[in-house]
Amino acid sequence: MVIVHTVSSLLSYVAFLVACGAGALFLIQERQIKRKRMGILFHHLPSLDQLERVNVLAIGLGFALLTVGLSWGVVGSRLLRGVWWSGDPKEILSATLWVCYCILWLARLRATMRGRRVALLSVLGFALVLFTFLGVSWLVPTWHPSL
Amino acid sequence: MHIVVVGVNHRSAPIEIRERMAFSSAQVPAALSRLREELGLEEAAILSTCNRVEIYGMLPAQEGAVARLEEFLSVHGGLPREELAPRLYSSWDSHSVRHLFRVASGLDSMVLGEAEILQQVKAAYETARLHGAVGKTFNGLFQRALNTAKSVRSQTAIGRGGTSVGSVAVELAQKIFSHLSGATVLLIGAGKIGELTLRRLADRGVTRVRVMNRSLERAAALADQYTASAVPLEHLAMELLDADIVVTSTSAPGHLLAQEDIAQTMRARHQRPLCLVDLGVPRNVDPTVGELENVYLFDVDDLKGLLDHHHRERQAASAQADVIVDQKVTQFVAWWEMEVRSCEPSSSALAAVR
Repeated sequence: MVIVHTVSSLLSYVAFLVACGAGALFLIQERQIKRKRMGILFHHLPSLDQLERVNVLAIGLGFALLTVGLSWGVVGSRLLRGVWWSGDPKEILSATLWVCYCILWLARLRATMRGRRVALLSVLGFALVLFTFLGVSWLVPTWHPSL
Repeated sequence: MHIVVVGVNHRSAPIEIRERMAFSSAQVPAALSRLREELGLEEAAILSTCNRVEIYGMLPAQEGAVARLEEFLSVHGGLPREELAPRLYSSWDSHSVRHLFRVASGLDSMVLGEAEILQQVKAAYETARLHGAVGKTFNGLFQRALNTAKSVRSQTAIGRGGTSVGSVAVELAQKIFSHLSGATVLLIGAGKIGELTLRRLADRGVTRVRVMNRSLERAAALADQYTASAVPLEHLAMELLDADIVVTSTSAPGHLLAQEDIAQTMRARHQRPLCLVDLGVPRNVDPTVGELENVYLFDVDDLKGLLDHHHRERQAASAQADVIVDQKVTQFVAWWEMEVRSCEPSSSALAAVR
């Protein structure tokens, strides 16, 4: 129970890290092209559509894994401790994270937003991931084990 | 033993002379055997491209060799020797080796760093090998020339970047869409530039091309020559939704594509990226279009600027390339001295045997 919760949550963080990396590279390459600079970065970075594909797939995969991880957490909490939700800071942040990536994923899926904006948001989104993953344990007390 | 090169290139002779000197692939085998049988070359190879005609040979003595090769070329080209001789250059041993290595690396080409010459040197070597004109020395020489060219290309920026406005545009588009073969291209303007662009795109394997022109007949005539389809100018808004790359080259006075039009198009396209290449002078696309999200606009000045940038980079790289060439020449000469020249019976040794 706890294993599935932990493993899928951690794997979703990995996917969000990949999305962040691809997003950052997209922003750099896009800037090179917009500014008409064909330097070392231009030649060595992949094309925009490749970076975008990796970025979007990673967001989708991360979101799916996070959904599994959170539902297991909620169900597990009910079974092990008798409550669905205990209002722990980590729970609140994780729910926020889920909502953020859900919006990002849907916006991209419905093509209301593309390219630069999605890339930028996936980079910013990862800051929230880092805070949820590491920040909470140090800055705010939680009963979730810190790593 | 000595290695010699005698030839003409784009710097030493005008096209009228170079085309007379050229060897067709059918002429090369006979020429190679004449070089060996009548001129006494032990090993030989002929490199004949549109920018150069060169004979490489290995022979025991230097005396009179260049004169004999000049005579051979003058007969071949049907040009009097006095007229041809000032156009010819020649060099010996390590200088001729350096010359070949620089030629193969594209350092002696009209377009610095072009890659085609590497294939041409390879073909010249293969032909000579096929007709038994090369031995140990030339096998080593040409294999090292090809190897040098590969090192130069991989270790320096000599081959980097397009060499024409069109190839720079292609390079940019490839960093947006990866594969141009799957892209839909809309060509607006069926004039000279439009036609050139169409030919280049066809060479690149782009199959979905629409040609748009004020006169539909002109567009249809051009589209028929290639695997493209002609569309009337009235369908512009609709075609813009479908296209990935739009190339404009009309002589229209105003802006054909205004910012509001493209902004609207982008919303309808769900922000799918759009690459605009404006080859028109005056410009066909409002320059502020380039500020829109997911729109990538390049005009003639942008492309020319990048072309100059590539050219400067290549020139900077050529000094670095020459260092690699020098190293490879030294290595070859050392190998050749040890493997081939040291085995030659010197005249004193021959005398001692007698």
